[in-house]
Amino acid sequence: MTTSTEQSLASGAPNGSGNSTAAAATQALNKTYGTGDTRVHALKNVDVAFQSGKFTAIMGPSGSGKSTLMHCLAGLDTADSGKIWIGGTEITALNDNQLTKLRRERVGFVFQAFNLVSTLTAEQNITLPIALAGGTVDKEWFRYVTSTLGLADRLTHRPHELSGGQQQRVAVARALLTRPDVIFGDEPTGNLDSKVGAEVLSLLRRSATEMGQSIIMVTHDPVAASYADRVVLMNDGALVGELERPGTEQILAALAKLGA
Amino acid sequence: MLQVALAQVKQHARRFIAVALAVVMAVGFLTATLMVNASTEASLGNSVGAGFRNADLVLSSGPDKPLDEQAAEAVADADGVAEVYVQQQTHVAFGTAGEAGYGALQNTAPSAGLDNLELIEGALPGSGEVAVDDATAERLALTVGSKLEFAPGAGMAAAEDVAASGIPATVSAIVKASKDPLMMGQPQFFGTSGFIAALADEQAPVQVRSIQLDLAAGTDTAAAKDAVAAALTAAGFAESTVNTAAEQTKEVVAGFTGGTDQLTIVLLAFALVAVLVSALVVANTFSVLIAQRTRELALLRCIGAGRGQIRRSVLVEALLVGVVASVIGVLGAVGLMAGIIAVLQGRPDTEFAALAVPPLAVAVGLVTGVVMTVLAALAPARAATTVAPLAALRPAEDVRVGNRKGKVRLGFGIALVVGGAVVLGLGALNANLLIALPGGAMSFIGLLLCATLFVPPLVTAVGALARPLGVPGKLAAVNAVRNPGRTSATATALLIGVTLVVMMMTGAQTARTAFESELSAQYPVDISIGNLAEDGGQLDEAAAETALTYDGVAAAGLITTGGYATVNGQRTGVYQLTPAQRELLQDQSLTLDADTVLLAEGSGLDTLTVTGSSGSKEFQVVEVSSFSFPPLMSSAVAEEIGVPAPAAADSEEYFSALPQLWLSVDRDLDATALMELRSELAAGLNVQDYQISGAAIERAAFNQIIDVLLLVVTGLLAVAVLIALVGVANTLSLSVLERTQESSLLRALGLTRNQLRGMLALEAVLIAGVAALIGSGLGSLYGRLGAQSALGTFTAVVPDVPWLQLAAVLAVAVVAGLLASVMPARRAARLSPVEGLATV
Ligand SMILES: Nc1ncnc2c1ncn2[C@@H]1O[C@H](COP(=O)(O)OP(=O)(O)OP(=O)(O)O)[C@@H](O)[C@H]1O
Ligand SMILES: [Mg+2]
Repeated sequence: MTTSTEQSLASGAPNGSGNSTAAAATQALNKTYGTGDTRVHALKNVDVAFQSGKFTAIMGPSGSGKSTLMHCLAGLDTADSGKIWIGGTEITALNDNQLTKLRRERVGFVFQAFNLVSTLTAEQNITLPIALAGGTVDKEWFRYVTSTLGLADRLTHRPHELSGGQQQRVAVARALLTRPDVIFGDEPTGNLDSKVGAEVLSLLRRSATEMGQSIIMVTHDPVAASYADRVVLMNDGALVGELERPGTEQILAALAKLGA
Repeated sequence: MLQVALAQVKQHARRFIAVALAVVMAVGFLTATLMVNASTEASLGNSVGAGFRNADLVLSSGPDKPLDEQAAEAVADADGVAEVYVQQQTHVAFGTAGEAGYGALQNTAPSAGLDNLELIEGALPGSGEVAVDDATAERLALTVGSKLEFAPGAGMAAAEDVAASGIPATVSAIVKASKDPLMMGQPQFFGTSGFIAALADEQAPVQVRSIQLDLAAGTDTAAAKDAVAAALTAAGFAESTVNTAAEQTKEVVAGFTGGTDQLTIVLLAFALVAVLVSALVVANTFSVLIAQRTRELALLRCIGAGRGQIRRSVLVEALLVGVVASVIGVLGAVGLMAGIIAVLQGRPDTEFAALAVPPLAVAVGLVTGVVMTVLAALAPARAATTVAPLAALRPAEDVRVGNRKGKVRLGFGIALVVGGAVVLGLGALNANLLIALPGGAMSFIGLLLCATLFVPPLVTAVGALARPLGVPGKLAAVNAVRNPGRTSATATALLIGVTLVVMMMTGAQTARTAFESELSAQYPVDISIGNLAEDGGQLDEAAAETALTYDGVAAAGLITTGGYATVNGQRTGVYQLTPAQRELLQDQSLTLDADTVLLAEGSGLDTLTVTGSSGSKEFQVVEVSSFSFPPLMSSAVAEEIGVPAPAAADSEEYFSALPQLWLSVDRDLDATALMELRSELAAGLNVQDYQISGAAIERAAFNQIIDVLLLVVTGLLAVAVLIALVGVANTLSLSVLERTQESSLLRALGLTRNQLRGMLALEAVLIAGVAALIGSGLGSLYGRLGAQSALGTFTAVVPDVPWLQLAAVLAVAVVAGLLASVMPARRAARLSPVEGLATV
């Protein structure tokens, strides 16, 4: 779907390929929490587009609205005003059931913690969205994803029998399996040590490069962000800039400017 | 720590609501039970005491010697006695210009101090005057000054004659109708003693109801009582009793009810079950609450709270909840009873109903509720103290129950099951309910103790059925046994009620079947109509056809004599049965061939020679275990020996050879329908009711009694079941709280709201359904063994399972499970995925 919004935003996408449909996009997105004195303007007129097949990181100081933006984008939360598209579908108009369906078919998630259902095995966790949709698992793709992630011999284990890194990899596998329009990650490596974190990040990097998977990741870690094609910077509920394939130094410098 | 407990209760009031609800119901039930007895007595006292409510002492007749004027004179001189009122009553006929009827006439008291009447208008009657009750006055349009005629109640052929020849009287007052049971429900008149004496005759003599005494002011009642008793004895009325009004009421009520104490005991047994179930629910809820607060408790321990303080904090919570819930329960019970009494008071037959709130009932309700709640919280409180301070720093994983204690409990439970089963078996074998009952109770308690052994595996097994429902089904099955201890306790609470209900159902059904087989042995057919019609005619084929036209009659056959024989020294007709008529027999195993004749039990014959019109034949006798079975042979043989002419009206065998009409009726006719059918038949066939008898009629009457009993028992047990369902809802909603993050994750991953709701509903249904399933199984077994123990000596007990009722129990459990999940599921589904994930 090509809309005026996207075109206007496409120019802001420095990586060329301006004619490809955005994996996710927003237009004039506003979100407030609370009322009166405690009122917080968490998102202020956010216009952003995330390119298909790219790995984008969202950065910014604590409380700048990163998680809020991601939750709205993923259809987990509702915005006050503005529009949101996922893979060309405007989701702001969908009801709860339609949103749920969209999530299980076209969106993948990797959270910081509590990623897995503790009563299910790794395999069951990975196939959960497909099972929920009542679809059939693409066996070959499943084998490819799990072996690439090094989970092949861990499939019958339950979450508490897996290490933190393994649990995150299971979550990544789950997100990849449905070949969603976009995968969202909210500090997916926040709880991992740097070695395991690097493992998960390079995995995400590879799935973007090799499988053309669109990924949007919220992170505080400049090293993590340096795996991304593009870094979007937020401050105080608004977009304040972006970096193209930045290095760690570059990111640190940009963040320092934001006072983070 | 009190602060912590208070904060807990205040902040998590919602979590305590279910605990409170369970306690409220149990306490309410218990208190109401205790009030039933007191209120019954108060109501009866209100009625019984109406006739002597102002007397200081009441004298009533001994068993042999009625009180009379002589007795009155004897006590009048006793120390302290001021006034004597010999209360007399007789039955009178009365007439006014337009109306006539019968009523009760009582004399008025000689002095105001003993007067029991409540004047509405007018003045107490003097000579030639009567007071009349307000209801009668209204019905007959009587006012003060109206004229009436009276005559002895039994002497008049028709009340109408009274108006012409009776003793006239003027209405001097309208009074409130007395609630005295011997006056109620009929026209009430009050006049002078002289008036009564004039109206009494041999057939309706004056009866001295009592002698009522007014004591002089300042007299010691006990002393006066002794003096009066002595005076009575001296006068020859040693067996008469002397009571105060209150004592007299009590005595009469006790004579009336006799059984209310037993009723209270039975009701108390049910209340006890409710209290037990509620204790289980409370204990379970508290352990869940503790489990959820492990981290918080550990934190308290970290910052220096001692074990004792933690335990006390939990117990204070229990105490708070117990007190509040018990007070509400007692108030609820009082309100309920007040409501019932108010309804009763509004009805003319029971307007004497009175509410009694005995302090004992209130105290017992409050104490039981509080003690039960605190006791039930003891184990969870102890569990709370075992939380290690370090737990605060560990990830919140389910804390497993201590193993040693669990093993002891299991061992104890298994021992009880085995021991109880042996005793129960012995009781059943010897058909001794007194042995079987403790055995059954023992084994049941044992089973409850080891519920963790069989409940979770069964839930898992049944949960496999939910697999086809996809992810929500699978998850529900897993979640239902996530915490086996919790699941077992939840199911156990429900199990108790269901087992008892099903036990009653099975017992009733088995008793019914046993009784029916007894009946079919007693009576040859559903309904048989014998003897002559009222006009002296015999029943004939036309009668059979008429009978068939009635609703409910399935088949009819006229059976007639096919020969004559001598049985027990009496000439009698031997009836012939066509193959079609054989279908009418209750006992379809009876066969008639060419060589046999069926005879009622006790003939002592091996063979019987039956004479027909063209010959006779010797038959083998087959005895039927019934006394009311007429001699029967097959119609084919009757043809062979020649069907004889009907017996002559003056012959010896005439009455035992009259044609009989046999009917079979639809099985589903209830008692009322059968009684109606019986009177319709009696009218249509021109016979008397008593000529129509048979198994169907007795069966219906018996079934009606069983049905009513079953209904009452089920209703009483329903309270326990309801409490258990509160437990199911509670456990579920607490589990839902625990699983908030997981629910949110599932929602984020694509579980729809409805799927989430369905998942929780399924979980509740699984737990409730399995509890109902186990309860049904156990209840059937106990019911069967119980019936064997209770009825084994009277009849052969054949197991009979009330499948339909079992299905109903299961259906109710499933629906109730669904209902129990509504609130928790709504709360879980309302949560947006983000909110849930945020509460890390
Ligand atoms: N449920 C809520 N109710 C009220 N205010 C909220 C809620 N969620 C977030 N906020 C506020 O909205 C603003 C943006 O929050 P958000 O969680 O998006 O920040 P963030 O950039 O993800 O921060 P962090 O890096 O700390 O995770 C913050 O000021 C926060 O306090
Ligand atoms: Mg955040």
